[in-house]
Amino acid sequence: MLLTGAEIIMECLLEQKVDTVFGYPGGAMLNIYDALYQYGGKLRHIETSHEQNAAHAADGYARATGKTGVCIATSGPGATNLVTGIATAYMDSIPMVAITGNVNLGLLGLDSFQEVDITGITMPVTKHNFIVKDVSQLADTLRKAFRIAQEGRKGPVLVDIPKDITAQKCEFTPLAQLPEPEPEHFPSDQSFERAMELIRKSERPFLYTGGGVIASEASEELAALAERLDAPVASSLMSQGAFDQSSPRYMGMLGMHGTKTAALGVKHCDLFIAVGTRFSDRVTCNADLFGTHFPIIQIDIDPAEFDKNVHVDVRLRGDAKQILSHLLEIAPQMDHADWMRDVESWNLNYPLMQRPAPDGVTPQEVLGTLGRLTDSEAILTTEVGQHQMWAAQFYTFRHPRQFLTSGGLGTMGFGLGAAMGAQLARPDKRVINIAGDGSFHMNCSELSTLSKYNIPVIELIFNNTVLGMVRQWQKLFYENRFSQTDLEKKTDYEMLARAFGVKALTIREQADIEPVLKEALATDGPVLINCLINKDINVLPMVPAGASVEDPILTM
Amino acid sequence: MEKEYILSVLAHNNAGVLLRISGLFSRRCYNIKSIVAAQTVDPEYSEILIVVQGDERIVRQVDKQLSKLVDIEEVTILSWENSVVREHLLLKARRTPENSEKLVEIANVFHAGILNVSPESMVLELTGSPSELDSFTELYKPYGILKVLRTGSMAMEK
Repeated sequence: MLLTGAEIIMECLLEQKVDTVFGYPGGAMLNIYDALYQYGGKLRHIETSHEQNAAHAADGYARATGKTGVCIATSGPGATNLVTGIATAYMDSIPMVAITGNVNLGLLGLDSFQEVDITGITMPVTKHNFIVKDVSQLADTLRKAFRIAQEGRKGPVLVDIPKDITAQKCEFTPLAQLPEPEPEHFPSDQSFERAMELIRKSERPFLYTGGGVIASEASEELAALAERLDAPVASSLMSQGAFDQSSPRYMGMLGMHGTKTAALGVKHCDLFIAVGTRFSDRVTCNADLFGTHFPIIQIDIDPAEFDKNVHVDVRLRGDAKQILSHLLEIAPQMDHADWMRDVESWNLNYPLMQRPAPDGVTPQEVLGTLGRLTDSEAILTTEVGQHQMWAAQFYTFRHPRQFLTSGGLGTMGFGLGAAMGAQLARPDKRVINIAGDGSFHMNCSELSTLSKYNIPVIELIFNNTVLGMVRQWQKLFYENRFSQTDLEKKTDYEMLARAFGVKALTIREQADIEPVLKEALATDGPVLINCLINKDINVLPMVPAGASVEDPILTM
Repeated sequence: MEKEYILSVLAHNNAGVLLRISGLFSRRCYNIKSIVAAQTVDPEYSEILIVVQGDERIVRQVDKQLSKLVDIEEVTILSWENSVVREHLLLKARRTPENSEKLVEIANVFHAGILNVSPESMVLELTGSPSELDSFTELYKPYGILKVLRTGSMAMEK
């Protein structure tokens, strides 16, 4: 059938089973938005207040479902506003397709109005990007973009489309069916044998999960392997929920703000098995001191992650789910009762604890209560800072895709958009964005989007009036010189929420915690909770810069 | 140990492919010593030869990161022993009535070509291994070099 470029884009999105796109219109997007108008019944478009949050929403949608998130923006500033969202998805390997309009082909390169070289700008933060200069290439380019976003290590792909391409007509042939993905690399028998040699010899194996376990939907296999090897499990920030945290095998998060148990686990283990993780500097802390006294087996889909940050002994390249399934076929049942007893006693002796604040409201109690009231079944998104670490530490995640956070890029402003995307993808779940008062100000205009579409996200702000994480570092390393971290904002959070049409609640003291959370959870619509906490509550444990991940400090 | 490695990269001849490669090198802090790129017999592809400075770990990383670029088809690390390596050089030497004969003499020793002779200068060309070109350039230094142009290394497995 003969279709315009804009209609071809709609057809391609439907072909990829896209049901929701997040975006913002503009001059270069007029044809695309006209097509969206006509395809309105088939494709839902969510208009955010700012393009950055359209990208975060598409990202949240992808993290909550595993499907490719889609965002669209106009040329120039629309496109550049997407960049932080694209970079966030790139660092965390989240499948996303970003579609940007551009000026007419003939105006490219002339510094035309709202023209920007967005493929040039996004090269370092996309898996790949395209500019379409021939309408006959449009459909196949979009199909390629969706394929690249999902194949191998997932990530964002950008397709830039000049305005006249969206108006030109071209014959469109629908795909009979989506092509099967190419089979992933699978490790050799020798590699598996080398891994098994280490596993058989090990008396104190340590299983470590990364975001790759979630990306490859390998949680069940991982849990089975933990049983088979009789091993404890720690998770990175990115893989909170990849392993059931209510299990006695769970040691907590590993890294800069990980648990003492996980740190002791690393100190005493004799084999480290890393699944779908890249040994980021926030995990190894001091990479030179990491893994010097135990061999490492690394399972990863991206061969460039082998030996990048730490040297590993056995490399199993491929899809985590397939590799773990194979290990389950060849690994015998192990018994490491002594080792598991060590882990359980550490878990008992070193629980995550916050000293009660003077006014009694601690993030630990708020998140603990939230966990109880939601049966540990809610989806939590976060911004970046202290509240992000508290959310990871004090909510018990039991399933993958329950904790959505900007782990790699550390994007303040990520959470509210991500929560919106996650809630639209999973209407059956409660979605709560855990925010700080600093991060809240980066994206608070999206409250208007929540109320416009009546998206029942709970925005829970841990309001300590400071940029707490940076302030914590200033306390530890800069002799309490609190440069620019005492925000002293005059914002009336409740009034601001109401101005956007969002219900507002306040937690002032301990007695407010449960009734306020209950009321928020019973509300059929967006709610903002302003939870006032003491500014001197720290995130602990903490591994100071340069120290080994095995030696966190527990007080400060 | 730091040394030089030659990477032969077969890439789809798409717009921006050289930018993708050079961008990757700069953001991952790898050092390009030289780069030569041209279309292959099949116009769909380009062959790009990159000389990289680093240790073996770095070069393995470069190989794997390059291989991840969608436009790149194949990356081969060539060994110096098993490859012929050639560079091309153009050199403009200062010419005086006194040194003219000497300039020609050196050129003859290296079988270099003389492309242009003017009263004040002489333009020479030479194709050879990187070390040959180094010594060639060295020999002209005392007479005054006005300009030198060198391509990066091209290499082919034997």
